[in-house]
Amino acid sequence: MQEAQLDHAISTIRVRFGSQALTRAAELLPPQPWPSGTPLDRLSGIEGMPRGRLTLLVGSGTCGKLTLALDLLAAATREFAHAVVIDTGGGFKQGNFDPWALLPFDPLLRSLTVVRLDPDSSGEAATALVGAGAGFILLMGEIPEPCLGPLEAGANRSGTVMVGVIDAPGRALAHASSLSLGFSRVDWMWERGQLVGLRAIARCLKNRVAPPLGESELEIRYPLGPQLPFATPVIEVHLEKSEMECASAVV
Amino acid sequence: MRICCGLTNHLELACRPDLYRGPVIVGEWEEHVIAVSEEAMPFGVLPGMPLRQAEHLCPQATFLAPDPNAASRLRELIASALYDLAPLVEVRVEGIAWLDVTGVVQPSESIRETRRRLRAAIGREPRLGLAPGPFSARVAAACARPGRLMQVEDARAFLAPFASRELPLTLEQLERLDLLGLRTLGAVAAIGPRELESQLGREGRHAALLARGAEPDALTPWRPPLFTSAHRQFEPAVEDREALLFVSRALCTDLAAELGLRGAGAKHVRVRLVYESEEPDERYSIVRHPLSSAAELFGLIGGWIKEWQPRAPITELWIELPVLEAAGRRQLRLWAGNDGTSEEVVAAFDRLQERHGESVVRRPRPALLSSPLPSQRFDWVS
Repeated sequence: MQEAQLDHAISTIRVRFGSQALTRAAELLPPQPWPSGTPLDRLSGIEGMPRGRLTLLVGSGTCGKLTLALDLLAAATREFAHAVVIDTGGGFKQGNFDPWALLPFDPLLRSLTVVRLDPDSSGEAATALVGAGAGFILLMGEIPEPCLGPLEAGANRSGTVMVGVIDAPGRALAHASSLSLGFSRVDWMWERGQLVGLRAIARCLKNRVAPPLGESELEIRYPLGPQLPFATPVIEVHLEKSEMECASAVV
Repeated sequence: MRICCGLTNHLELACRPDLYRGPVIVGEWEEHVIAVSEEAMPFGVLPGMPLRQAEHLCPQATFLAPDPNAASRLRELIASALYDLAPLVEVRVEGIAWLDVTGVVQPSESIRETRRRLRAAIGREPRLGLAPGPFSARVAAACARPGRLMQVEDARAFLAPFASRELPLTLEQLERLDLLGLRTLGAVAAIGPRELESQLGREGRHAALLARGAEPDALTPWRPPLFTSAHRQFEPAVEDREALLFVSRALCTDLAAELGLRGAGAKHVRVRLVYESEEPDERYSIVRHPLSSAAELFGLIGGWIKEWQPRAPITELWIELPVLEAAGRRQLRLWAGNDGTSEEVVAAFDRLQERHGESVVRRPRPALLSSPLPSQRFDWVS
């Protein structure tokens, strides 16, 4: 009797508010992976970055999070029709994002669009782009808390890969993320008295898409020498110990 | 060229699926038979014969007067259902649906979906044929069993053994072919178009080309109509804005699904609120880019509803798209990869620029990459 009433209530809601107003949990699809070709694929536990979810790369100071994010962004420019950077660094001249830092990763610049807005409006922009179905969005900064709900819902529908890079996320942003990877610098790398890179550890801090995996040690090398930095190809990275070019620390 | 043909019942018969299991004959009294069900054919009833004769041959059949409007509506329904499976679609009331699957990324998926949608629309398994042209595809479909596909690679070799009555000729012309000894399509093909033209006129040339598998006929593509709307009545009347938002989202989803099938978009949007006791309120706008997805439609209409101050309880909500046009988002299933939403993302960029200024959205273009000054390395274009 109760079940019949419940079914009647569910069908009434669907008739009145549309078929998508209520969805059974069993009917929800698991997140689909986007294989990016970076070590983060293995840390996510689903062999790729989760589509339709928010992934956070966090860590204080120089620890390699932006390098990994740029590697993801370059891969996204090659794969998606639209890869978008939402830079909350303020006016267009003072933004945080510099496409020059992206060049070592061999991006396809015609797919890249940079949106620079103040932090309050960035949430609206992210929600609009996610709703429109942009393939990849790199968030460089916090998103206002009221926008996080629509952002999650929109990404879930469109399958957009969202990656946020931030030193220390607020509680709301951390809660909204499905995958959080923490970066910490272990050591600087010196060769012949010259700083050539850094070692960092990437840890899976939160994983709502798969059982959390452990950690991975990354070796990030600065592009040094007479050749142009963007002429160096990206080196394949491994789970235990990996090497890649660092873009963020180039002077 | 690869054409898929789905053969079903005549759409006059498909309008009455409740009569499927018995013999049915459709035609005007004292006129000719328009459609005959498969159950009536063993009695010798054929389309085109006088209805009196059909009644004499099969008196136990159910006789129906034709309803061309219902058949035409069903034809539109089937055409719109098949429209996102192939770039060119033609549906005829005789129960023939052609799809040009040339260049389609996954033609087998399109054909499988065609079968499913035809079955859903007609209530019976269609016969399917895949061949280099519409004529050979139709003949192949006629040979297939219900629900099965017959594929033809060499149309001329396939058509050769079939009787020449498969050709679209009048009875008199077919009799003449018979007198000439041209009883198979192979024999007609061997004669050649010029010789047959001298005997039967222009139709003779056309028939010879068909028999040779040259497929001189092109499909007449179906095009979607140019107006659509969706509405919901409220019983009892609604005052709650959240409920209105939910309903408008559902209506936007329905409209977007229809627009997707039609490959259309709308720049003109009208929302009408019908009140319990007051005159209706409406809001109308023309946007820069055609809206075609639920997110785009709801982005506009949801914003209106959020700021609307209804004067009385609302009994009806109408969303009308009075002028449809080709959208960037055409026939979504035919797109590969992530291309399908590209125009929507561009439209979202445009909306951000309208709201926050041109400089908000920029694309980097390499300029002087080796410059020590970061500002000289890239040009930023809108």
